[in-house]
Amino acid sequence: MEWSIFQQYGPMLLRGFQITVFCWLFGTIFGMILGLLIALAQRYGVKPVRWLLQAYIEIIRGTPFLVQLFVLYYGGPLIGLRLDALPAGLLGLTIYGSPYFAEIFRSAFRAVPHGQIEAARAIGMAEVSIIRRILLPLGLVSALPALVNFSIILTKETVILSIITVPELMYQVQRMSTETFRYLEANLVLALFFWALVELISRVGRRLEIRITKHLIERT
Amino acid sequence: MVQASSVEIRKVNKFYGPFQALKDIDLSVPPGKVTCLIGPSGSGKSTLLRCINFLEEYDSGEVRIDDQLIGYEVPGGRKMPARKLREMRRSIGMVFQQFNLWPHMTAQENVAEGLIRVRGLPRAEAADRAVEALRKVGLGDKMANHPARLSGGQQQRVAIARAIAMEPQLMLFDEPTSALDPELVGEVLNVMKTLAGEGMTMVVVTHEMGFAAHVADQVAFMEAGELVAVDAPARILHQPEDPRIQGFLRTYHERNAF
Ligand SMILES: Nc1ncnc2c1ncn2[C@@H]1O[C@H](COP(=O)(O)OP(=O)(O)OP(=O)(O)O)[C@@H](O)[C@H]1O
Ligand SMILES: [Mg+2]
Repeated sequence: MEWSIFQQYGPMLLRGFQITVFCWLFGTIFGMILGLLIALAQRYGVKPVRWLLQAYIEIIRGTPFLVQLFVLYYGGPLIGLRLDALPAGLLGLTIYGSPYFAEIFRSAFRAVPHGQIEAARAIGMAEVSIIRRILLPLGLVSALPALVNFSIILTKETVILSIITVPELMYQVQRMSTETFRYLEANLVLALFFWALVELISRVGRRLEIRITKHLIERT
Repeated sequence: MVQASSVEIRKVNKFYGPFQALKDIDLSVPPGKVTCLIGPSGSGKSTLLRCINFLEEYDSGEVRIDDQLIGYEVPGGRKMPARKLREMRRSIGMVFQQFNLWPHMTAQENVAEGLIRVRGLPRAEAADRAVEALRKVGLGDKMANHPARLSGGQQQRVAIARAIAMEPQLMLFDEPTSALDPELVGEVLNVMKTLAGEGMTMVVVTHEMGFAAHVADQVAFMEAGELVAVDAPARILHQPEDPRIQGFLRTYHERNAF
C-alpha cells in the first residue's frame, strides 16, 4: 500500500466526491418529484394518459441506465438536444429514477385507507385538498422506507456517469488508477466514500421515519 | 334547535355488475326524526345509506335532500358537477363504522380540517369551534391527542364531533358502534341520543336494537336489497308481521341470549 499519492490526488478525489453527492441529490430530488407527478397522473388521469405513463415506466425500468445515458448523450444531438456531460448525467439520473419512485408512490397511495379519503369527501372537501392534506402526507409516511432504500441504490448508479466523462468520484478514481497504477488504494477510497454516504443516508432516513411515524403508532 | 333536512328516496336501484344491491327502494325520512335501518348482513343497508350523500352512485330513481336531487342534474340525467355535489355534502354529516379519522392530525385538527378547507374559516376560529364540538362529545381534554392515542369510543366521538362541527342538517351513521368493545358502546350511543334530542335528522344503520327501540322514530327493515317494512319501532321490533323480520329478530335474540 502506498498512501502518499493521496497528497497529490486527495483534493481531486474530494472534488469528485462532491460532484457524486451533488448528482445523487439532484437525481433523487428531481426523480422523486417526477415520480410523484407520474403517480398522481396515473391515479387521477384519463386512460390514455395512464397507458402512456405505464409505457414510459416499463421502457425506463426495462433498459439499463448505461443505455439510457448513451441514448441521451450521443443520441440527443440527433434531435437537437445537445447537452454537456454533467447536465446530461443529471437529466439521465432523474429519468432513470422516476419510474421506480412513481411505483413507490403508487403503492403508497394505495395503502392509504379508502375510508379516510371517503371521510374527506363526505364533508365536502375538494379533491385537490384531499390530495394535499390527506393522500400526500399519509402516502409519504408509508413510502418513506422504500424512498430511502431506492435513493441508496441511486447513489451507486452515479458511478455510471463517469462513462460520459462527468468528473464524479469514479471518474477521478479511474484517472488516478491509470496515472499511478494504484488500483487497490484508489478503489478502496471509492468504497470508503460510498460506504460513508450510504451510512449517512440510512441514518437520516431512520431518524426521519421515527419522527414522522411518532403519532401514527398506537401505544402498546 | 338545529335546522333539519328531510330525505326522500324514490324507486332507487343500485347494481354491482349483474348483482342488484338495491331494489326499488322507497323511503321518507322526515326532518328532525331518527330513522334506523336494520337487517341482515349484506342486505344493502350501507349501500342505501351511502346513496344518500352519493358516496355510492345509485343507478336509477331519486334521492332528494330537502327536495333537491343529489348526484344527478335531473333524474336519470347527467351527474351533477363536483362543485355542486360538494356543496350538498357540506350539510350532510357522516360517521363510519371504522371511524376513519385522519391519523396524522390531532383530534382538534381532525375536527378543524373541514371548517378550514370546506367552510373557509380562519384557523383560529376553526380551532375554537373544534374545541367546542369536542367538548360537546365529552372530549374537551383530549383535543391534543392523535387518534392512535384514543380509545375506540373516543375516536368515534371525535368522528362525530368532526361531522357536527360542520353544522350539518342531516347525519348519517353506518354501524357507528359495531367496531367498539361492548363497554365503549354506551358513550357513543349517548352522544347520538343527545343529537337526536336536539332535533337533528338522523339515519342510522345499526345492530343496536335497544337504540332503535328507544331513540328511533321509525325503523326500516331491509333484506336482500329490498326494503321490507318501515314503521314505528314497536311495530317492527315487537309485533312484526313479516316472517323475514321475525326470523331476523329470532336470530338476533338467540345470539344475544346467554
Ligand atoms: N363495491 C361492491 N362491489 C360489489 N358488490 C358489493 C359492493 N359493495 C357492496 N356489495 C354487495 O352489495 C350487497 C349489500 O352490501 P352492503 O354493504 O350494503 O350490506 P349491509 O347491509 O351494509 O351489510 P353489513 O351489515 O354486513 O354491513 C352485499 O351483497 C355486498 O356483497
Ligand atoms: Mg354495512
